[in-house]
Amino acid sequence: MKTHLLVIGGGAAGMAAAVSAANKGFDVLVVERDRELGGILNQCIHNGFGLKEFKEELTGPEYADRFMNQLNEHKIPYLLSTTVLDIVRKDHFTIKCSSVEKGLFEIEANAVILSTGCYERTRGAILLPGERPKGIMTAGSAQRYLNKDGYLVGRNVFILGSGDIGLIMARRMTLEGANVLGVAEIMPFSNGLTRNVVQCLHDFNIPLYLSHTVTDIRGKERLEGITIQEVNEKFQVIPNTEKSFEVDTLLLSVGLIPDVTLFDSLTLEIDPITKSVVVDQNYETNIPGLFACGNSLHVHDLVDEVSNESKKAGEAAVRYLMHDHKNKHTLIIEKNENVRYVVPQTIAYNQLEVEHIELSFRVTKKISSAIINVMQDGEIIQTKKARYLVPAEMLRIAIPKDKITGISSLVLAVKEV
Amino acid sequence: MYDFIIIGAGIIGTNIARELSKYPFKTLVLEKENDVANHQTVANSAIVHAGHDPIEGSLKAILCVKGNALYEELEHELSIPLLRTGAFVLAHNDEEEQMLRDLKVRADHNGVPTSTILDGHTARKLEPNMSDSVTQVLSLPTTKVTYPWEVAFACLENAMKNGVEFRKNQEVTNIKWVKDRFVVETNFKETIETKHVISASGIFSDQIAHMLEKDVPYTIKPRRGEYYVLDRRVKGYLERVLYPLPTSKGKGVLLVPQVHGNILVGPTSVDQLDKVRTTTTPDGMKQIKEDAARLAKNIPFDKTIRTFAGIRAGSTYKDFFIQESKEFKGFYHVAGIDSPGLTAAPAIARYLVDEVIQPNVEKKENFDPFREEKIFFYTLSEDEQKKKIKENPLYGNIVCKCEKITEVEIMEAIHSPLGSDTIKGIKKRARAGSGLCQGGYCENTVLKIIARETGQSLDQINYYGKDTPILLKETKVK
Amino acid sequence: MKELICIVCPVGCHLHVDDQKNITGNQCPRGLKYGLEEITHPSRIITTTVKTSNPMMPRLPVKTSSPIPKELMFEIMDRIGAEIVTKSVKMNEIIIENILDTKVDIIATRSLNMLES
Repeated sequence: MKTHLLVIGGGAAGMAAAVSAANKGFDVLVVERDRELGGILNQCIHNGFGLKEFKEELTGPEYADRFMNQLNEHKIPYLLSTTVLDIVRKDHFTIKCSSVEKGLFEIEANAVILSTGCYERTRGAILLPGERPKGIMTAGSAQRYLNKDGYLVGRNVFILGSGDIGLIMARRMTLEGANVLGVAEIMPFSNGLTRNVVQCLHDFNIPLYLSHTVTDIRGKERLEGITIQEVNEKFQVIPNTEKSFEVDTLLLSVGLIPDVTLFDSLTLEIDPITKSVVVDQNYETNIPGLFACGNSLHVHDLVDEVSNESKKAGEAAVRYLMHDHKNKHTLIIEKNENVRYVVPQTIAYNQLEVEHIELSFRVTKKISSAIINVMQDGEIIQTKKARYLVPAEMLRIAIPKDKITGISSLVLAVKEV
Repeated sequence: MYDFIIIGAGIIGTNIARELSKYPFKTLVLEKENDVANHQTVANSAIVHAGHDPIEGSLKAILCVKGNALYEELEHELSIPLLRTGAFVLAHNDEEEQMLRDLKVRADHNGVPTSTILDGHTARKLEPNMSDSVTQVLSLPTTKVTYPWEVAFACLENAMKNGVEFRKNQEVTNIKWVKDRFVVETNFKETIETKHVISASGIFSDQIAHMLEKDVPYTIKPRRGEYYVLDRRVKGYLERVLYPLPTSKGKGVLLVPQVHGNILVGPTSVDQLDKVRTTTTPDGMKQIKEDAARLAKNIPFDKTIRTFAGIRAGSTYKDFFIQESKEFKGFYHVAGIDSPGLTAAPAIARYLVDEVIQPNVEKKENFDPFREEKIFFYTLSEDEQKKKIKENPLYGNIVCKCEKITEVEIMEAIHSPLGSDTIKGIKKRARAGSGLCQGGYCENTVLKIIARETGQSLDQINYYGKDTPILLKETKVK
Repeated sequence: MKELICIVCPVGCHLHVDDQKNITGNQCPRGLKYGLEEITHPSRIITTTVKTSNPMMPRLPVKTSSPIPKELMFEIMDRIGAEIVTKSVKMNEIIIENILDTKVDIIATRSLNMLES
């Protein structure tokens, strides 16, 4: 099987990338491992999506539907229930796939976009102590069981992690008849949108324990109870702050990790903070013709931003197909201590291609008033004032391409004022 | 009436069952949990030790070395995975180098077939990630790594093929000697009569023995060990098992490459009173990192996918206690089987049967030692995979993306003679859920496959034990 | 004295409402409006699922066509829980009209094709 552009993952990112790359003179094919397109949107039945993209407030399935319609209007072909096993790169890409329908087969492509989303951080990865009974699962798994299969996973629930998934599930479980005893968050502030704290916790009198984490899990076969304790600013457990809860379910909402593990055969440059691939302003990785966008590149707050980014990646892939990215020269974007990460991490300065280069970034702490500077060779080439910066909200700054001169690195500096 | 009842279907009980199935005995294995291999067998380092550190002349030493060699036979007959890793024991200074030499003398006395002392420089060429402070190593090439519960499954499957019966969810609550036989009572108030009882009940050995004997010659002293499991993508970081020098507390924290590419780091060694609480603790995790840093550098702890703990059946007797009861002839203790229990298991079974029980009947002529080959689909070449998919298209459905496990392997895990219908039982057999996302993606599908294949509703499927359903109830149903 | 967090924009002003329904703490007029509504007739959009007879899609996502009084949330959930969709529906189709006499409908947020298997 051959195509020009293969999009791996048919969720929000993949669909937006495919649609923006379609009908530009190149074949586009989407490969999706689930039996439907839409990705995680299918189980996100709550609203809050689409305010930027469609100027409407939509639920996840509605948002997915808009893009599925666009996909169909553009007659973009897609394969469902197909798992990508590996990617090999010679002069083109060979993507090894597997499905019941086609068995083991290969797709040849000239360019590939990774839009494979995230998996949820697990209990093991955060070294949660205690026993390992049944009743501990990630919030997303519980969400899928509830919203797609129609099953409640437990009756008395505690949630670790106050990111949006945890907050949304606090509300969802309560509405479907569970008793949510609390949400614990290791940071001193909630990670999720304030509106979710209000509408998911306050509405139902579910207590939020900030600066707390789970320190014990009890129950040999079935979860019987957990203990949470307060932590100090170094995240060390403070003695004598134990609070215990009798629960049969502990939902974990402790982070999303980009799913970029497909490639035993490729050596990709990885950013240890985003835990995903390093890309330039064209969303291209260190492997020419291999692009990444959406949550598999870095975890977004709003799906609207995923669509925005993925459209750019799709367009960049088309430009690549038109003229190869040979001899790419990159400069690095450095960050100061207030910036947790920035995407893209590099700029291909001899392939600037777009009018504006948009940097997406997150801060390391709450800053009420700041000046955001982008500097090159000590000169400020772009600046912006901003207020109420929080780590939970992704920020952006756009640099006109003609401001980037020369080859020295850029510095993204957020200064508190 | 049975000839033998074996209490416990862990690595020891299943090996004994297989050994006994070579004879025309009527044998029954009773297991109190909802599966084969549940306690020590699923919570250890998976190492088939060379036999370098047990005390000379002890049963531990003799049976460890014998067992190590017998694993070759098990691999051939039962198709169990066996990784020939070899091992290094590490020394960092003159004092430790002397201990290393003593260890080599012991290894030689114990009959370990090959062992050499190498200088740190040479060793580091072979293991580049070994700690820079290592000055000398003892190389133990006969060290291997296996997949412990798979060995238990294979032994019991083969035993059942040769006539042994197996019942799970049967906890022995009492044993009485009545007239000329043992009467074994289970938690279902059922009584089973047997001529002989073999207790391979691990951590509960002393409690089982107490049902009969007033003075049990050992007390089980539980000792907890915690581990890190690193994702299989760390494969290549380490080829051999790395041991520190052993202390009175045991072998210490090790680095152990696993059959499917993972690395285990651990275990700690902490006495505890509780026999069943297998908690991981922040102190334990910290201890492992500190101790492991002496063995290797830049250990990829960022690839941790899981932590777990197990409880060793340590014993006051200080060696394997494999003896017939003095008071109750026909009751056999196989107790205090902590390290090197996994390694010694096949040899323990032979020793028990040949030397302790000493059957006065001939072995069966029609004993079939072989188990059908078990191959993980992901290990096959592309051509072999395509062939299998032609025979059964469901091989094309990758259910566990992290470990590349197919739907067919999951169905086999449900339907095989020692199949399971629990999430963890499938994980043990087919490995779905053992990878990076720990079932985050595939558990949903595995659940549905189990429900489909066994005709149960989704909320009836258990996680592990008999009453551990993953799902509470269907919503919106009156 | 009641305290609310305004959710209209990312600032999240902490609003205070006294017994005379005077609102303080807002930094813009939108916060005032939100605060008043929250204390007089708080309402919410409910998003949930409804049972279907299609084994390939046992639950269909739905939402209220407009906000409903907050105090009716659980009653509305119960009413939706008693419903079962047995025929194909299109996106935005009404599943339950005028639920509990609120003049609000329950509408599908996804289409369901009963013939698909």
